[in-house]
Amino acid sequence: MAPPIEDYAMLGDTRTAALVAPDGSIDWLCVPRFDGEPVFGRLVGGSGAGSFRLGPAGPAGSFSVRARRYRPDSATLETIWETRGGSLTLTEAMVGEVAGRLLPTTLLVRRLSADAGPVEATLLFDPRPGVGRSRPRIEHRGGVLVASWPGTAVAVQAEPHVRVEAGRPVTVRVEPGRPLTVAVSVADREPLVHVTAATAWAALEADERAWQAWCRGIDEDLPHRDMVLRSLLTLRLLTYSPTGAPVAAPTTSLPEHVGGIRNWDYRYAWPRDASIGVGAFLGVGKDQEARRFMAWLLHATRLYRPRLPVLLTVHGRRPVAEREVTGWPGYAGSRPVRFGNAAADQHQLDGYGWVLDAAWLLTDAGHGLYAETWRAMAGFADTVAARWREPDAGIWEVRGPGAHHVHSKLMAWLALDRAIRIAEHRGPRRRRFGNAHARRRERWRRERDALAADITDRGFDAARGTFTRSYGSAELDAALLVLPLLGMLPADSPRIRTTIDAIRHDLHAGGPLLYRYPPGRDGLPGTEGAFLPCSFWLAQALAASGRLREATELFDALVELASPVGLYAEEMDPATRHHLGNFPQALTHAALVQAALAIRDARQPQYAAAQSSLDQ
Amino acid sequence: MDWAGWALFGLLATAALTAVLIAAQLAGVTRLDLPLLLGTLVTEDPDRARFAGFFVHLGVGEVFAFGYAATFALLGRAAWWLGGLLGLLHAAIALTVLVPLLSGVHPRIASNRAGPASTAALEPPGLLGLNYGARTPLVTVIAHVVYGTALGLLLEAS
Repeated sequence: MAPPIEDYAMLGDTRTAALVAPDGSIDWLCVPRFDGEPVFGRLVGGSGAGSFRLGPAGPAGSFSVRARRYRPDSATLETIWETRGGSLTLTEAMVGEVAGRLLPTTLLVRRLSADAGPVEATLLFDPRPGVGRSRPRIEHRGGVLVASWPGTAVAVQAEPHVRVEAGRPVTVRVEPGRPLTVAVSVADREPLVHVTAATAWAALEADERAWQAWCRGIDEDLPHRDMVLRSLLTLRLLTYSPTGAPVAAPTTSLPEHVGGIRNWDYRYAWPRDASIGVGAFLGVGKDQEARRFMAWLLHATRLYRPRLPVLLTVHGRRPVAEREVTGWPGYAGSRPVRFGNAAADQHQLDGYGWVLDAAWLLTDAGHGLYAETWRAMAGFADTVAARWREPDAGIWEVRGPGAHHVHSKLMAWLALDRAIRIAEHRGPRRRRFGNAHARRRERWRRERDALAADITDRGFDAARGTFTRSYGSAELDAALLVLPLLGMLPADSPRIRTTIDAIRHDLHAGGPLLYRYPPGRDGLPGTEGAFLPCSFWLAQALAASGRLREATELFDALVELASPVGLYAEEMDPATRHHLGNFPQALTHAALVQAALAIRDARQPQYAAAQSSLDQ
Repeated sequence: MDWAGWALFGLLATAALTAVLIAAQLAGVTRLDLPLLLGTLVTEDPDRARFAGFFVHLGVGEVFAFGYAATFALLGRAAWWLGGLLGLLHAAIALTVLVPLLSGVHPRIASNRAGPASTAALEPPGLLGLNYGARTPLVTVIAHVVYGTALGLLLEAS
């Protein structure tokens, strides 16, 4: 029986990430990157897909988790078990900062310590690389177990020495004052770097101090600051440091409905989701992270511009063709397990709006765009001006015929509006090309106004007084909660208020939860859970439209829904409150930060004045 | 063979190589941009970097042209096909050695080992430059064969 998704915790090094179950079993790890092949794939591949357990010995009922948390302001995970022999603590992390030192590119460090008396522990190391879940070649070199397969090798070293056997549990006695430290090194197309346990532990501690320094200085006035910090750390851990690409989640095929077919591969970078992250990082003063995203976007989209791809690999390539893996049982029987993502081929208009809004946020924050960056943004705006009349797949990537999604049109409006703002901001430096620029701006302005008229004419249900999911539809879409943030209408306008209230009513999923659209209305069999980012968007929308008390109450309730270690998936089962979908999900964490920032801003006395100037 | 011609012919051949790379970029075949990679050694602004990088690239092209001319002199003849063969060798070295090594010395190219503290903005090229697009090796080979062929032709004719 698989643990609930929310019972997993993530270890990460900003290049890849592992998921750890409460019993100390790493059930998911891809190397050398987020989108690499799984070495431990039990999460969706069954027991034959490999795992790495370090935890109390004995059957499941013979120990219990007393506490599980990340150490404050760090990526180091601590699990404390109560066992018959006493308590046992597992402290673990992946080392992010390896550059400039002779350390393996991927280094996982796990330390077991007994607090009172000696405790029996189990070490089970069972790597099964790739979709084929093949058994690697195993050798013992000195005291080190080395598992290798073409191109890759993984070394396991324990101190005090333990002879680790691949695929066979080894029982170890952990004495108080003599912790067991296990270091796992991965080499991908390079020689293995062996590290002693002491070196590995020192690297973990140095990383922990670096993360604590990274968190220092973040606004003390943020509501639920600890949760905001956890979200920011999660967003940073999901950003691939070699390129600056943020992945949506480190997993594939965790189901949106247990036993269902809505199982997708999220180990890629969606420019849309990433742009939301830019706002989150900028809002807390992490400008470097925001700028790195724009640099990645500029480089990654080079081959596709002026079209904006829906998603890309961390290196800016097209993802591999989506395929269903036969023989993998899936999480709790949720098949198929997919690698690759076919949404890459879709036309989604809304992405342009998110990206241009991120560019505007950077510009507005004083980070002028390089000329090439501006050319790319202007090209995106031209694409929107030329294509906004076409149907698209929309933010929810519905697989089937396109539609005129109102949210997509709103985001197209946003794209053109932000392009105009940036152009006006840059204006004085571009006088020599004044006429051409003025004509281009005039076209954007014309198309933006035509879009606003079209949305109001065809995307608004006059009878209910609400904007709709798509032209001619009476349904609602929780993505419309962006309305108060755009500036197309005043944030407190009756149309926005009515739409927000109608979404709260029609898409209500119990408690603070919302469905993204009426469940099951996406052409796929089965249903899905409530969509967590939408609830945070609702809190943000309420704060932005002057309903601070409601926003705060909702935010408080949403924070209660976090996993035991403060993480969120994409969705949640409204009945059981179990998390659903890939985990942890960057979009949910970015939405949490954005909601917290909106509430913080709404509390400022000068907020009302700033808001009214934005609306003008 | 006119030994003295290598400087001028080196410039012409490097310009031809650059033209192939830029054409491939504009056609959406690769993201490899040698002037940008070289220019970001001195500035962060992509447009200024390309300008500076173009001249750095010309200089590097001259150095390689000297090597080609010396090889032709050693062999006692210059020919377009010989230049093309040398171009193939040059491309192989560039893809397997020079470009991947850049991330070790370039302050603005991240390495595959980059961590949270990395401020480098350019993604590493990876083996064969494949991170810049699947057809990058092909474009690089074509560009260098054009470079070598041009040098062979010009030095043969002079």
